[in-house]
This record gives sequence, C-alpha cells and structure tokens, in this order.
Amino acid sequence: MPDRKMFWRIVRRLFAAQRGRLLVILLALGAGAALTAALLNIQIDAKTRLTKEFRAFGTNVIVAPRETGASAPALLDEAVVRQVREFHAPPQSSAISDLYVVVDASSSRTNLSSKVVVAGKRWEFPPAMSVRGSLKGAPLAQDSKENICVVGSKVTEQLHVQLGDSLRLQNSGREEACVAMIAPARGDEEDNQISTTLEAAQRLAALPEKISLMQLNVSGTPREIRDYIAALAQHVPGADVHGLRQFTDAEAKIYNRISGLLTSTIILVLALTGLCVMAAMTNVAMERKNDVGLMKAIGGATRRVLRLFLAEAALLGLAGGVIGGAAGLLLSIWLGKSVFGVAARPRLIVYPVSVGLTILVAIISAYPLRRLANISPASVFRGES
Amino acid sequence: MFLRLVADSFTRRPRRKLLTGAALALGMAVVTAAFSVSLDVGDRLAHEFRGLGANLLVTPQADSLPLEIGGVDYRPANAGAYLPERDLGKLKTIFWRNNIVGFAPVMELPVEVSGKVPPAPAESTTAAIKTTLIGTWAHRSITLPDGHEYVTGMEKTNSWWNVEGRWFADDSQECVVGKSFAARANVKLGDAVHIISGGHDTNLTVTGILSGGGPEDDAIVAPLQIAQLLADKPGEYRRLYVSALTKPEDDFGRRSPSTMNAVELERWSCSPYASSIAYQIKQVLPGADARVIRRVAEGEGSILTRVRTLLWLATLAAMLAAALAVGASSAAAVIERRSEIGLMKAIGAGSGTIGFLLAAEQLLLALVGGGVGYAVGIVLARQLGQKIFGVAPEPSLLVFIVVLALAGAVTLLGSAIPLHRAARYEPAPILRGE
Repeated sequence: MPDRKMFWRIVRRLFAAQRGRLLVILLALGAGAALTAALLNIQIDAKTRLTKEFRAFGTNVIVAPRETGASAPALLDEAVVRQVREFHAPPQSSAISDLYVVVDASSSRTNLSSKVVVAGKRWEFPPAMSVRGSLKGAPLAQDSKENICVVGSKVTEQLHVQLGDSLRLQNSGREEACVAMIAPARGDEEDNQISTTLEAAQRLAALPEKISLMQLNVSGTPREIRDYIAALAQHVPGADVHGLRQFTDAEAKIYNRISGLLTSTIILVLALTGLCVMAAMTNVAMERKNDVGLMKAIGGATRRVLRLFLAEAALLGLAGGVIGGAAGLLLSIWLGKSVFGVAARPRLIVYPVSVGLTILVAIISAYPLRRLANISPASVFRGES
Repeated sequence: MFLRLVADSFTRRPRRKLLTGAALALGMAVVTAAFSVSLDVGDRLAHEFRGLGANLLVTPQADSLPLEIGGVDYRPANAGAYLPERDLGKLKTIFWRNNIVGFAPVMELPVEVSGKVPPAPAESTTAAIKTTLIGTWAHRSITLPDGHEYVTGMEKTNSWWNVEGRWFADDSQECVVGKSFAARANVKLGDAVHIISGGHDTNLTVTGILSGGGPEDDAIVAPLQIAQLLADKPGEYRRLYVSALTKPEDDFGRRSPSTMNAVELERWSCSPYASSIAYQIKQVLPGADARVIRRVAEGEGSILTRVRTLLWLATLAAMLAAALAVGASSAAAVIERRSEIGLMKAIGAGSGTIGFLLAAEQLLLALVGGGVGYAVGIVLARQLGQKIFGVAPEPSLLVFIVVLALAGAVTLLGSAIPLHRAARYEPAPILRGE
C-alpha cells in the first residue's frame, strides 16, 4: 500500500520539520496527562484512605446481649465471640471483647481505695495490637507473669496511682493484683475505668466464658459497614449487632461531602487541563496554514489532509499521555505521602485512562484544523492572512 | 499614539482577542471556584463534624469516680458531686463563645417504671422495670448574661438521636423513651408512664420513641427538671456535653498551658483548640473540670487536616493548569503577530517599545479576562458549595486579588518568551514572508 506508506512518511516529516514547536505541545500534553493521572490516582486513593482515617473514631459497631437484664447487666457467651471471629470482617478491622465488673480497687502504696469499674479486654482480631492505641507501643501483655492494668486518668487522680504501683482489685472475696500503667486522659468513660485482661476480669466476676459486649472497629465505606452489620447480625442471631449511630451517621455524611468535593475539583482540573492542551494545539493549527495550502495545491483532498493532521494530533496525544501519565503516577505517590503520610498506591487503571483522555483531548483540540479545509491555496501563496 | 495602537489591536481582530480572553476567563473561573471552595471548606467541614456530637465534657471537679458502664452511670443519685445549672449561661460569655455550637447538661439516675397509667388490664400485675432516666435539655431557650436568647440542648449536641414523634417540651411532664425500652416495657406514643425513684414519683407522657444506637436506646430521656425533682437535686446537673468548633490540634495546641509564658499563653488562648476552649470553660464554671473528648476531637482533627491539604493540592493543580493554558494562548497571540512586529521594527520602533506595547495589551486582556473569570468562578463556587454543603461560600476579596494577580503574571510570563524572541527578529525576513 504505497498510499499508506506515503501517509506515514508525511506524518514523520511533519514531526521532523518542527521539532521545537512539537516539543512545546508535547510538554503541554504531557503536563495535562500528568495532572490528570496524579489527580485521578489521588482521588481513588483518597477515598480508601479516608475510610481508614475514620477508624480514628474508634468503635463503630457493638455486639451486645439481645435483652438487657432487668436486675443485673446481661452477658454474652464466648461462643458469640467465636462466631464473630470466624465471620469475615473487612481488612483493617479490629475487635475487642469486654467484660465490666465493679470492684474495690486499692493501691498498695497509698492505701487509698474506691469502687471502680474494671474493664476486662481481649483483642480478638487482629492479633497483637496495643490497647486502643491509647498507650503507644505498650502492648497489653497477655501472657506475662505479672498482670498489667491500664488505669484511666480519673482513677489515677482519685487513687494517686503512679506508674508501676501494684493495685489490688477485690470483688466478693475474690482478688487480683496487677501492675499499674497510666493512660492519658481521653474524655470518655475509659478515664473512670481500670482496664485489664479479660481473663482477670472473668475471675474477679466469677463469670468464666462470659463477656459484656464486643466492640468492633470496622473499616470501610459507610455502605460496606452497613452491609457488614446486616450480615453479621444474621450470622450471630444470639446477639444484638448495631452500629454506633453517633459515628456511623456522621461518617457517612462527612464521607459523602468529602468525596463530592474531591470529584468536583477533579472535574474542574480536568476541564482546565483540556483547555490548556487545546490552547497549545490551536497554535499548531495556525502554523499549518502554509502546509495545507501547499498540499491542496498539489492535489491533496481535504479529507486526506485533515486525516494527516488528526493522525499527527493523536500521535502527539499518545506520546504526551504515555510520558505524562507515568510522571503523574510518580507524582501521586509523592503527593499521597505528603497528604496522608503513606505513599498512594498507583492504580494501573489510571494509566490507560489518562493516556486515552489525553489522546481524546488532543484530537478534539485539533478541531480548529477544520477551518483549514476552507483555505484556498492561492490566497496562502499570495501571503494573505 | 500608544493608546491608539492598543485600541486598534483590539478592534481589528476582535475574534482572536475574544478567544484568548475566553481561555483566560475560563481558566481563572476554575481557579476562583477551586480557591473559594478551598478557603471555605475548613469551616464547612468543621460544622459537619459537629454531627459527631460533643467534643468537650464538663464534670464536677470534686466528683467521686463514676461507675460508668456502657455510658450509664450506676452510682446512686446521692453519691458524687453536682454542678449548678444557673451558671450555664456563662458558657456563651467566653472568648470563643461563637464557636460553641451547643451544649446540654445531663443528670442520670436509676429509676423504676411501674407500668403504664392507667394500667392496661392484662398487665396490671407486671413487675416494676428498672431502667435509667436521663434528664437533659431537648431545646431549651436560655437567657444569656448579655440579654440575648440562646437555644440549645440535645437536639443540637446529639443530632444523630432520631426521635419518632417529637421531643418533649423542657418545662412539661413529658419524656421520650429509647426504642429497646419501649419494646421491653411495651410503651407506645401517647402512653403515660409512672416513674419511681427513691421517695419520689411522677407520671410522664411519652411524646417520642428515640433511637440513637447507644445506651439511650434502653433509657427514658426526660426534661432535666424532672430528673432534678426525682433525685432531690433542684437546679443541678452531673455532666455537661459541649459541642464546639475547633481547630485541629498541632504540637503547640497540645502543650499544657502551665508550661507557657505570657505571650505563648495569649496565642494559645486565641486559637480555638479544643483544649484552650476547655481551659476557658473551666475558668467560667467554678468547681468544674472540662476535658476534651479525645476520640471525637482527634479523629476530627486528622481528617480535617488531610482534606484541607488535599483540596489545596487540587487548587494548586488547577492554578498550574490554568497558568499553562493562559500562558500558551498568550504565547500564541504574540507569535501570530510576528509580521506586525517586523513592520513596526522596520519603521523604527525599538524592541523595548514593542515589548511594552504588547505587554500592555496582554495585561489589559488579563484584567478583563480575570475579572470576567472571577465573576463566573464565584457563581460556580456558589453552585458547588450549595450542592455539596448546602451553603454557598461568601465571595472574598482575597480570592479576587489572587485571581487578578495570577492572570496578570501568567499572561506576562506566557508572552515574555515569544517577546524575547521577537526582540531579536530581523524585520527584513519577516516582511519578505519567510
């Protein structure tokens, strides 16, 4: 096909003839593609990151006894814990089993004593995590020789507890001893509690294999959390599974707002990028006047001439997109690091999408070339504008 | 002559100028919109986060340890300390009073519900049901020391509490009951319940069924004065929840005020950190201890900071893209006029004069385009704000100045490179059409 051969030869020539100008356009296209890729990637990444940020609010799902007892607080069997554990939770979720018991706590150093709520806690999943992140890097030793208990700030004040003090917890003749660690003030009920291991609390309350409730911190979009609650409720018919509306409601609302915000800014920036590329391409079209005139004069059909330039535009778009898209993905990794502290994971889907978008924009921007079809060769050669 | 040349260039090729101007206006419109929304988003989101409820908790300083399990205090009514209700108006007198969105005092006490009034025939023998009565404000109007009226209560602090029916009136014998309790005691809207606590008893009409997902689902929520009456503690409360707009805490905000010198303390008090608002509340409420609810405040802080950074990045990207677009089109405008430049040089104009002429032209275009873009952008920003947050951002002078400056700088920069080249043009080849 000599025809096709000629076509590509001319395209090659077009590129070779104006290296400087093409470099500028390539730069514009590349910058556009880079911005597109970076923002798209950040956008996808930000939404998943946000769901992780929401975990800072802590517990959002509670597994509690179905009926609250009339006289004593109702309890759950540990069989429920096993059911919850074997049910597949979204990744990054966590769960704790709690048993609350009111005891007389006294410090051996000060001899002060008071009635305190002891919260026995056991991490169910994921294994080995610090106590609620409230004590950085100090895991609640599950298997150390000596029991460790984490003392809330109000209790600390009341009993004048210091780090390393030994505490005695007594309840109807049963007794446990533990070494105190001081928790920072949190402003919630944990300030008034002493946290220890679930087993110690169960021994104190003489309630083996029983828990008061499970606190789950489920990760995911509001929708995923809702679905998980519904599915878990079906899987664990013996207990009441509900979301903490205080957090689930607000999270859903805030999540929707933020993702709406992100989407609209991305659209705005994409529109601008298109504009940028278009402005650059218009220049080329104007520059091409003489070429078009010449081609027409030696018998090029308008359609063929147009196709030639469109091919040029598409090739430019491809080159710009491939280079810019890669640069953008790298950029987004760095941006993700500076915003969320964790490098954004490059999504492969972003790359072809941004390359495709760039090609599309380049071809659309070649639209002003259509005006060239009306050029009469004679006027071009006469040097008229 | 100078002005004539400029005017001439605009009238001779209106279409070309219009195109460049439109690109400028569009670019600047997007920048304006992104910029306005970014400026506004912190405040808007801070308001949204108030949907999480109180971020400050006020308790009596001399209190005994609350025996709190699952949000319910199991201490008897006569244990522990209380705070006076009449001081609450002072909350709206602190420096950050406008940041306080709402507050609600709470008094909880264990009660027995001995069935409905009049008793249903089949259930006349049912035993008394133990539960908790939460006394609080639903939407109480209080008179501030400066004479203004201020309405606050659970409706503002706990907006996720969903009441089927209606909230009680704060000065009535009404209550709302949690949905689990309603199911347990078989209470429906419009029923009256008989409540006993200690030596006191009262009848309350149920005006709503409450669902909140917390311990309140198994409790009765009634006006604070009913709880005070039942507990024999007139004019007092046990806990106060305060919901305030705060600034995310940075390292400075986390420092203890006792370690600061006078200047630092002043700066700290003048930033709406949760802890500095807590500090000020402590100062106006004698005998009270105000604490930051870390769980709410910290989550909020980290998300706010991140979203804000993210939006600024997007705004920056928008500015960059707009700069590229405008720069490219103004470069095109200069390149196009090569022959004109050549002609001017041929008849004796210096490079400086030509540069000045073209720069003036571009700047004029930038101002007009930037102005139009700003107007369009404000409309766009209002639409966006309305759609996302339900509140439109206010136009700000800062944005206007930034947009005009950006438009000017970018067009000049865009034309600078071709102008620099133009300065070296030899008139002869251009005029020959080479």
